[in-house]
Amino acid sequence: MKHHYWEMPIVIYLFLGGLGGGIMFLSAIFDFFITPGAGVLFAWPMFIALAALAVGCFFLVFELGQPLVFWRVWTTATAIIKWGATLLVIAMVFGALWWVSYLPWEWISGLAGALAGARGLFLGIAGFAGFGIMVYTGVMLSTLKAHAFWATPALPVLFTISAISTACAAIALGLGGWPVEFSLEAVFVTEVIHEILHIVDIVLVCAEIVVLLIMVLSFFGAGNVTAKAVATRWVKGKTAPLFWIGMVGFGLIIPLVLYIGGAGSAASSVVAPVLVLLGGLLLRYLCVYSDERAEIPGENRYYNRIAKGDEKFVSEWRGKENLY
Amino acid sequence: MTRYVMVIDKRRCIGCQSCTVACRTWNDLPLDIVYNPVVTEGTQGTWPNVHRDWTPLLCMHCANPECVPCCPTGASQQDEDGTVWIDSKKCMACKVCVNACPYGMRDASHLEPRLHRFVRKCTFCRDRRQMDPSAKPYCVDTCHQKARIFGDIDDPESEVSKLIGSVKTERLFTEFGTDPQIYYIPELGGKA
Repeated sequence: MKHHYWEMPIVIYLFLGGLGGGIMFLSAIFDFFITPGAGVLFAWPMFIALAALAVGCFFLVFELGQPLVFWRVWTTATAIIKWGATLLVIAMVFGALWWVSYLPWEWISGLAGALAGARGLFLGIAGFAGFGIMVYTGVMLSTLKAHAFWATPALPVLFTISAISTACAAIALGLGGWPVEFSLEAVFVTEVIHEILHIVDIVLVCAEIVVLLIMVLSFFGAGNVTAKAVATRWVKGKTAPLFWIGMVGFGLIIPLVLYIGGAGSAASSVVAPVLVLLGGLLLRYLCVYSDERAEIPGENRYYNRIAKGDEKFVSEWRGKENLY
Repeated sequence: MTRYVMVIDKRRCIGCQSCTVACRTWNDLPLDIVYNPVVTEGTQGTWPNVHRDWTPLLCMHCANPECVPCCPTGASQQDEDGTVWIDSKKCMACKVCVNACPYGMRDASHLEPRLHRFVRKCTFCRDRRQMDPSAKPYCVDTCHQKARIFGDIDDPESEVSKLIGSVKTERLFTEFGTDPQIYYIPELGGKA
């Protein structure tokens, strides 16, 4: 193939989008169904989600060839990335309104008070949009059927599980932070939520291991030529150390062991969530860079021989002083 | 109704790359963009029974293109005559269409200014045909082997229509359901 059309900015965007959407989704689930009235405990995780979505959007726009006209994404009805962009905006707007309603500063208390009455509505919409973003990040890649490794229903499932898992990890790290004031009730509810997140993330990490291995090994054993080539690279090729040691080992197995074996320790409450987050980022990296197309016979031979853009004569051409 | 297609007679192609050069010249392409590469797997067989099979590539102007509905800005479009083209004034170079194309026939140049890139592709020389409706793509006019034949498949008297109806032709990656409109007359091949 010629080169990777999407690179690190898209990797970061897909990771942060899933993370931010997952935090909003889980915050809504907890606030509505599991620990009603404990919304303020999720104010700091919601800030992390808003920051993640904002930074993700920055990288998404940065990746564009013409970033200043990013608004053109909303000019047609059919494109799937339009729906992703719309969900991002909805999640950020309503997530921000919900977050502002918890701000304790005097100068904003009027606005916060006015918004407080509609917290349920804001969080409901943000949570719904967050769920959409989690699913969308995988669906967007899987609709591009030119890329055999992406065009599988397993990819959106994998990305969604990973997004919720990384969201669990991020919430566990940020739960009960500013602007929560110390109280016994807050400490108790925080502990209860930590316990629930702990168990949920164990289940999610197990599910992620299963889906990831099913996807990769089924491609490895029974994929078409292109998908099998990518899976072979993952399983025993150039990418194998990153996949087995980085993704499966440090991103999934070790956090799982720490979650189960080190309950209550710093290894379980800090190291494991951090590893889960890094594993989520690595998963997006491995997937985005597995964008091989079916080769037209002779195509790779041709493209390997033409200018890549960093040769000296290309630089001369770029500088409008073509000496060749 | 008019439906433009191209027939490429691989029996005639000698891999001279004249079409590639002509295309680059007409479209004033950056160095890292090629609309119509002529690719080969190299020499096949054992001396003296050797041959080389050349495959001229270009946008397949699919009847059911993957690259058009995925475009969020409406820049990627298809005319009624089947020509798939990109309105550079609408494109923001998100590269979804580039990733959607199973043939890899679209790209944005990395040599253009960072904030002014757009996705490019073959348009069957739409600009030439707008100036002169009887004009053919420049690669077709340039091919001295007459390996590229361009025309309206809906016209039963056209050369492409007669060729497709009478000679065995092949198309690339029909399994994607894109219904590509570049028809290849296969190389005869040597005795490998």
